[in-house]
Amino acid sequence: MSVIEVVNLSKAFGPKVVLSNVNLRVEEGESLVVLGGSGTGKTVLLRNIMGLLTPDSGHVAVEGKIIAQLSRDELFEVRQSIGMCFQMAALFDSMTVFENVAFGLRRHQKMNEAQIQARVEECLSMVGMKGTDKLKPAELSGGMKRRVGFARAIALKPKILLFDEPTTGLDPVMTDVIGRVILDLKHELGVTTITITHDLKSAFEIADRIALIFRGECIACQTPAEFKVNPHPVVQQFLRGDADGPFLQDPPPPKRKEARA
Amino acid sequence: MILSFFDKAGAGVLKGMDTAGDFAVLSGRTFAAIFKRPFDGANLMRQFQAVGINSLPVVLLTSLAVSMVFAVQLAYGFKQFQAGGLAAGVEGLAVVRELAPVITGLMLSGRVGSAMAAELGTMQVTEQIDALECLATDPIHYLFVPRFLAAAIMLPLLTAVSIVIGYWGGYLVLVGVEGQSAFVYGNEFYKLLAARDIRIALTKALVFGMIIALVGCWKGYRTSGGAEGVGNAPTSSVVTSSLWILISDFFLTKLLLV
Repeated sequence: MSVIEVVNLSKAFGPKVVLSNVNLRVEEGESLVVLGGSGTGKTVLLRNIMGLLTPDSGHVAVEGKIIAQLSRDELFEVRQSIGMCFQMAALFDSMTVFENVAFGLRRHQKMNEAQIQARVEECLSMVGMKGTDKLKPAELSGGMKRRVGFARAIALKPKILLFDEPTTGLDPVMTDVIGRVILDLKHELGVTTITITHDLKSAFEIADRIALIFRGECIACQTPAEFKVNPHPVVQQFLRGDADGPFLQDPPPPKRKEARA
Repeated sequence: MILSFFDKAGAGVLKGMDTAGDFAVLSGRTFAAIFKRPFDGANLMRQFQAVGINSLPVVLLTSLAVSMVFAVQLAYGFKQFQAGGLAAGVEGLAVVRELAPVITGLMLSGRVGSAMAAELGTMQVTEQIDALECLATDPIHYLFVPRFLAAAIMLPLLTAVSIVIGYWGGYLVLVGVEGQSAFVYGNEFYKLLAARDIRIALTKALVFGMIIALVGCWKGYRTSGGAEGVGNAPTSSVVTSSLWILISDFFLTKLLLV
């Protein structure tokens, strides 16, 4: 049985269809990377998996439990086994780094202060953020915030980790650092991960399988090697990073050089 | 023309029902979550501090100002038919029954309700509330309940403080300026009052406290649309809760005085 099953998932906001009939399966210990242009509903997909949004049709099942049908208490129980890393980290800005990472532990585990201290330190060192526990989120850079967000997500030892654009807006070096952190976490914890990204380099590093969402539909879901040679024009355009092609609904005018030629 | 009018009216009614229903559901969930585990004492204490202790100066000053100006008006009004002695009794009636709870309620809706809306609104647009959900924490339980409890408990206490200040505000004007006897003022102030008036005042304050916290949290929780949304949430929370404080004040007075 797959850990996460997305079956015929459709979601629209008013007249705007964001996802239509998306099917995905993630096996245990596998890491899936979801690619797609901006605003193609990748984040909406994660939010449906977390139960933050309810699908219009179809369903998401985590370990066989259909998310939309759970009661709130059951949903919270499932969420304890999922760690979610937000795009802008979403750290609680009134708390220190330590309190942020300790938040889930304090609420859901009967640990004493020393155990919490130890676990928080362990999590922070896993993401290379040791010694920052007394700082406030406002004192951290973007990349540091993301990593603290990772530490908070892994504190409860989840079986599933979801990363929402973990590298967007970071410099290439920090992007590589984050990619490495994700790989380390995967190997150390053996978790199942879904990562949403635009960054092809880290996508190929992290992924066991790559999916591409195009106009609300999942048009490819295969291993990185297969994905690279997928003949689908949208896939090839995405890999080239070219403005011309079927990817954009209304492509910009051709580049000046070509126009002159 | 007519059809489009009905169309618009119907859409308005539906939207109103939708909003009222949403508020009712969130309020119901807040009541239900009060006794849920885990109990977060530190969080509750912080809210007591924010709602209660930090509001003391504002409540002190406004109660003093309002009770003094009211005493000036009463002294002036009653003097016109040589009934200056009635001023103290009416001052007591007004302060205990209306001024203290309503002024405290309105000031706190501005000071505390707006802060709740702004704080929760910012948390909403920066995904911190989603992060709470993802950490398997009910935002209603973690955010609404401590604020609700703090406001519901602190408003009656602050109203009691406001009544005491109101007594001394009237004293300053009627005894200090108008030259009435301090002994007579002390007796007259309570003459038109009964124990149930204090009870009514505290009941009103309790209801106002619930309104302030629920409206403030609700407006913040339902914030959308970035900086503009966060800007609108406190304004709209103050307007809504002030309105409901005044409306509910009328009905509470009418019901409780029967």
